[in-house]
Amino acid sequence: MQSLDPRVKRLPQLGATNAKQALDQFGTYEVFVESKAGKPFQHEGSIHAPNLEMAYVLAKETFTRRFTCTSIYVVNTGNVFTSPTTEGNQSVYELVTANAASSEKKVFEIYHLIKRGKQHVHVGNVEAGTPEAALTIAKNLFGEGKIVYNVWAIEQSKIRFTSAEEKDLWNTLPEKKFRDASDYKGGDKLKNFLEKTRN
Amino acid sequence: MNQDALKDLLYKMADDLLILGHRNSEWTGFGPLLEEDIAFSSMAQDKVGQSYALYQLLHSLGERQPDTVAFTRNANQFHNCQLVELPNMEYDFSLIRHFLFDTADALRWEMLTQSSYELLAQLAKKIKGELRYHTLHANTWVKQLGSATEESIARLQTSLEIALPYSLGIFEESVFEREIITTGIFGGENELKKRWLSKIEEVIAQTQLHIPELKLITPVIGGRIGQHSEHLQPLLDEMSEVFRIDPSAEW
Repeated sequence: MQSLDPRVKRLPQLGATNAKQALDQFGTYEVFVESKAGKPFQHEGSIHAPNLEMAYVLAKETFTRRFTCTSIYVVNTGNVFTSPTTEGNQSVYELVTANAASSEKKVFEIYHLIKRGKQHVHVGNVEAGTPEAALTIAKNLFGEGKIVYNVWAIEQSKIRFTSAEEKDLWNTLPEKKFRDASDYKGGDKLKNFLEKTRN
Repeated sequence: MNQDALKDLLYKMADDLLILGHRNSEWTGFGPLLEEDIAFSSMAQDKVGQSYALYQLLHSLGERQPDTVAFTRNANQFHNCQLVELPNMEYDFSLIRHFLFDTADALRWEMLTQSSYELLAQLAKKIKGELRYHTLHANTWVKQLGSATEESIARLQTSLEIALPYSLGIFEESVFEREIITTGIFGGENELKKRWLSKIEEVIAQTQLHIPELKLITPVIGGRIGQHSEHLQPLLDEMSEVFRIDPSAEW
């Protein structure tokens, strides 16, 4: 199509099929944070990175530069097995049917979404051959008597955890209050200034 | 304990960290990736924070207030090595400098956990986690880009060759070297250099980069005795610009 308008020039040609453009960005990794020792890990968001180790390095400052935290871990988004999502009074575990047991056993970490709009929270792990089978076991272990809208299963061996010796990465974080806007007490300063100018 | 020897050590460490912290903070908002921008800026803040802790120690030894020391000296009164004052250039150079300096810095603090000057040993233990992150970050990037593409390898190699003569200047010995070692304050620049070399060789060996023959390189020294490149004074002028408007202001 002939046109001087660049927007028209960018339109795909009618009838022609174009190969999908290769991704011009890094893949994504999911980031989980343990805010206090003993509290369950919670999904905090995702991050772009070229590989798992880089994802760990970049996630550390992107997600834990302000609020105190004791540990994080990351996993390639492609390694997160997600269940369907339910609504209202229906728990997603009602949709889970028994799976054939397999001889191969892997450890899967299990995460629940119990309120829409909130984050997935770690509930424990199970041994199973496939993520589908892991959900069957998780249903018995963690699914009784509550409504869970969505479940994630992540193979433990795919996760880049914080090692025991790396736990000191956050040691000085509680002292870095200067990273919080509230530490500058801008409101107080403004109030004092206004009072001074009024008098 | 000879106070002059101790102050000499504290000043060069603090000045290194303040100047590199400031340089690295110039990347804020311009980093190659959002996530990296945040990480690099955070580490710059850590460095300025570490320099503040050292200036506080100096203050307890009778030196002037940290802000006065940081913002009112001229270039020839600074004891940082010239490596840290060089302009950022492109990200490959900043990354290589970060790798070369932070490897030495982490090893220096590791040696200082044994210092006979108890307050310095305590500080060394306290910031161990920050240093662990800085070296993890540097090593991961160098391993990544040092084996990624033809361009990334060539860029890192060029930057490595530019930065090496300056990084040898980190280990410029002071007139108090013997004293600082015999009193158990610090194990000395020579020992640090040995450990540094073996550590950077270990990381570079995992990439397609190579370290040129160090014996053929003339170290760029002088920084420790106040001799600097033309790049330091403009940095100081900019860094102290706001402070000089009203030195008595509380921020």
